[in-house]
Amino acid sequence: MSSKPPAPVQPPRCWTLRQDAKAHRLARVAQWTKDRVLDSSRIVEALEALIEPGDRVSLEGNNQKQADFLSRSLAAASPEKLHDLHLIISNINRPEHLDLFERGIARKVDFAFAGMQSLRVAQLLEDGKLQIGAIHTYVELYARMFVDLTPNIALVCAEKADAQGNLYTGANTEDTPTIVEATGFRHGIVIAQVNELTDTLPRVDIPGSWIDLVVVADRPYAVESLFTRDPRLINDMHILMGMMVIRGIYERHGVTSLNHGIGFDTAAIELLLPTYGGKLGLRGKICRHWALNPHPTLIPAIESGWVESIHCFGSEVGMGDYIAARSDVFFVGRDGSMRSNRVLCQMAGQYAVDLFIGSTLQMDGEANSSTVTQGRMAGFGGAPNMGHNPGGRRHASPAWLSLITGDSPVMRGRKLVVQMVETFAKGGEPAFVETLDAVAVGKKCGLPIAPVMIYGSDVSHVVTEEGIAYLYKADGLKQRREALAAVAGLSPIGRRSNPRRLAKLRQDGLVALPEDLGVARSDAKRSLLAARSIEDLVAWSGNLYSPPAKFRSW
Amino acid sequence: MNPVPPSPTALAAEHFLARQSFIELKARERAELLVDAGTARELAGPFDRISSPWLAAQGLVPQADDGVVIVRGAMNARPVVVISIEGGFQGGSMGEVSAAKIAASLDLARKVGEQGTPIPAVLVFESGGVRLQEANLGLALTGEIHRAMLALRRVVPVVGVIPGMVGCFGGMAIAAALCSHLIMTREGRLSLNGPEVIEQEAGPAEFDSHDRKLIWEITGGAQRYAAGFADELVEDDVQTLADALRAALARGVPARHRSERVGEFLERIARIDDPLRFDSAMLRDLFAGLKTDERHVSR
Repeated sequence: MSSKPPAPVQPPRCWTLRQDAKAHRLARVAQWTKDRVLDSSRIVEALEALIEPGDRVSLEGNNQKQADFLSRSLAAASPEKLHDLHLIISNINRPEHLDLFERGIARKVDFAFAGMQSLRVAQLLEDGKLQIGAIHTYVELYARMFVDLTPNIALVCAEKADAQGNLYTGANTEDTPTIVEATGFRHGIVIAQVNELTDTLPRVDIPGSWIDLVVVADRPYAVESLFTRDPRLINDMHILMGMMVIRGIYERHGVTSLNHGIGFDTAAIELLLPTYGGKLGLRGKICRHWALNPHPTLIPAIESGWVESIHCFGSEVGMGDYIAARSDVFFVGRDGSMRSNRVLCQMAGQYAVDLFIGSTLQMDGEANSSTVTQGRMAGFGGAPNMGHNPGGRRHASPAWLSLITGDSPVMRGRKLVVQMVETFAKGGEPAFVETLDAVAVGKKCGLPIAPVMIYGSDVSHVVTEEGIAYLYKADGLKQRREALAAVAGLSPIGRRSNPRRLAKLRQDGLVALPEDLGVARSDAKRSLLAARSIEDLVAWSGNLYSPPAKFRSW
Repeated sequence: MNPVPPSPTALAAEHFLARQSFIELKARERAELLVDAGTARELAGPFDRISSPWLAAQGLVPQADDGVVIVRGAMNARPVVVISIEGGFQGGSMGEVSAAKIAASLDLARKVGEQGTPIPAVLVFESGGVRLQEANLGLALTGEIHRAMLALRRVVPVVGVIPGMVGCFGGMAIAAALCSHLIMTREGRLSLNGPEVIEQEAGPAEFDSHDRKLIWEITGGAQRYAAGFADELVEDDVQTLADALRAALARGVPARHRSERVGEFLERIARIDDPLRFDSAMLRDLFAGLKTDERHVSR
């Protein structure tokens, strides 16, 4: 037996390329660091030295806190040294986020929401200066950081750090641990801007061994008070719709766990619970467990004993002392401050709660809805995560089971996905349309799919000022369309309905008008709100809530 | 086991639930709730259809009461006229009809008084001042309001309320300053020029109209009361406000009105050396000690 010829000798493969590259990059800035702390005055040079063209850079910025010292510094870098970066960012929120594209520092972006900057995103896209990887939901974007969008660099923010790089992110922890984990454990470089360096931290939210560099920012990181709704702006229409939701959905389905959006209509519901809900004897029966930010408008319901638990995506400006004093309700650390976590709260909102309710700007005849309208390339943030029926859910609850309509031996329940929409928007534009603007916007921007926020097939209930359409009960698409048209008022979709059809739908329980729910339209008055102003909310909180100046009227 | 006493927070919450907000109410509801139950009778009401002849030509929809509600009724079982301005219509601005309704009802109250039954007046201010669409007529008739107030307050008290949220500005700020007794909430604002006007004329460095904290620190009820430009600061509650009004009416006409002490105020203003450096505390100190003259002439 002759032996096989020996295989050609190959050098052994190196399995630490990423680790070695990281060490090499960090060595370039060693001259400007002491322990883990980078000299703030060298931040632009340091970013130019640490980042390489084509890198995937995760810049922390969502609808609340922003690593704005790092984003401003990155935008000040030289496009000769840094170019063609791939930005991974949950919210394109600040002007400098787009300056990066205008200056050629970044080229591609994967994001979840563009809100304020949506017009400029559309313009840069048209000018060929910006390419969209995809518009994600929050959970999708973060999940992809653990699959094929792992960042080379993470630019994050924290309140405090010590010299070892341990971070205190406190009530606004939000996305930071997730971004750091995805980057740090794949040998990316994690840079954290902090408001201050201290010897001792209230608690360690992220261990220093996950962090490469800490830099003290020129001013505290920017944070928006996005979840504060001034009760003075809630009108009788919001209240009527809120009363219908409490009777026709929360009470009827026994909804105990839920998420609320940030619209004035859901703020109205929060303020109706202690008064209207109390009169109906619903305390303890509905709305006990929440996945949402610490909305100031929830204070009266908390104080009246409605709320058992609230887990938060982030915090809200001015709510710190109140949260600390209500630690039975919120997730609070031993140090007294809240711990939020956007990804975990989104997961809770997706799988654990029985109901999602939110507002939209436009809805078509099949209940597909979108906040993307002509010229606005906004994206959706977390709404699609929570605003769908997760097919993988296995745990049952009375509310989830109450949506079963068939009688097969293998049946599963359904999440309640509720959309609230007034039939006409301000300015007389119908909210119900034949075709969503999103379809044209998607085509124009070259998106592979139309940017729909909530798919009609996931929507179980639609609430308008006319009534509630119980879409989950519909037998087939035709009946679904009819039920939706019956509550769509005088919009083009609504005009497809007629009184005879409405009577039949009411009889079959597919549509309920206020009178069918025992809701008197004449009772829908602001006097029903538990708090009618920010100052009422402050009083409810026993002066623990301290609203930002822009919400003060005294 | 001893029962647990309710916490101060719980008490505050209960108190707030029980409150009936005056700010929340429309002008007509306000006037009707202030007078003794069952005594309200509206003069020149919406069914008399006296509306502004000038708005339609400028593309604006007029209102059948032109935004002013005049209610004859009783308080403390004595006759009173309540004049309530609707902030929801054209910012409570004074046009030809709205201002004429106020001036005429004040004159009527005085004339009735000359025949032996004095009718004090309550003015609920909610006004940005003269209506720009009717500038000259609005201005002239605002002057008529001032004249009528000066004549009436010699015989009976004219009590003003600034509840908010529009506030009281322009010519109606002068009217507020002419009142025998002025009541504010902390939400109310009193200023000759509104924040937007000051910013437009003098720039945001002088007064930033977006800085709500600054606005209320300078023109808000708590500040105006502390500096002596208002006589009373009350909580936004219908009963509290009605009680304060009844007490003010019962006190009668002050021996000297605030506007008769104009020299004292001017003297304080003359003390300011740098008009661009002001803040809430400095203004309070400046006018300290100029609170209402507590002596009243009983009538």
